[in-house]
Amino acid sequence: MKYFMLLLALLGTSSLIVADGTVDNQAVPITSNITKVEKVLSTTSSVRISVVGQGVAPMNTSSPAQAYALAKRAATADAYRLIAEKVKGVRIDGQDLIKNMMVKRSIVRTSVQAMVRNANVVETTFKEGLCEVEMEILLSHSDFAQ
Amino acid sequence: MRSRDGNLTFSLRLCSIIFFSSLALNASEYLISYRYVVKNATLYNEILHISNAMQPCHGKTQQTLILESNNSSDLRKIISQNSQEFTEFIHKLGLHVKHEDITINSQNSSTTILTLKTTCFKVDFNDNFASISPLK
Repeated sequence: MKYFMLLLALLGTSSLIVADGTVDNQAVPITSNITKVEKVLSTTSSVRISVVGQGVAPMNTSSPAQAYALAKRAATADAYRLIAEKVKGVRIDGQDLIKNMMVKRSIVRTSVQAMVRNANVVETTFKEGLCEVEMEILLSHSDFAQ
Repeated sequence: MRSRDGNLTFSLRLCSIIFFSSLALNASEYLISYRYVVKNATLYNEILHISNAMQPCHGKTQQTLILESNNSSDLRKIISQNSQEFTEFIHKLGLHVKHEDITINSQNSSTTILTLKTTCFKVDFNDNFASISPLK
């Protein structure tokens, strides 16, 4: 009986090793196939950044045309903000107030400041009160060279 | 004893100085600034300031925008008639973006301010159109 138990234990461990081996063999090619291509600004090429900004019209507009114009302005500002966030990055500040082991207040502030020039509006859509502006900017090395 | 040629040169020089200085004083140069605020994805405020330049501006002209003037020399009127084109032109020049977003207990609010800092523009009024170009 003791020998039988020992044999069973040995068989179990060997099967685990085999199983581990096969899993590893399968996993290796999957991870190696994933290649992450990051866009890097080089001296020879340029990078195109495309964003979609969203804006809504105020409630008290006098006509649909005014609503469209105001919503488009808001969406353009949102698109500018998205470009600034992508190019320059976002500053994030967080603050949590915990009292008696409970979160009383949680504050997250994000901010960005940038100068955006030569951004182009590609497409504008207005549907059900929501305006979407697709905007793109072409960045080249010379824009940042000093 | 002064010669006639000398007097002529002097008077020509004087005339040219008066002519060019009068041109400089009447040069159509304007200071323009633009700012708009978007709060919670809704346009909150938009301001365009236009004023005559009290001092001559320095710099070279950049991109030029040509707007229909219909024999008018009032820049405010011309811009208000072609506000869309002018706004797009200002956007092309470059705007300063300032965005602040705050989330308190999962409730979010945001403010975005786009600004064109006060810039000097040279404006040439012709019969049917006005050409506007920033000086830099």
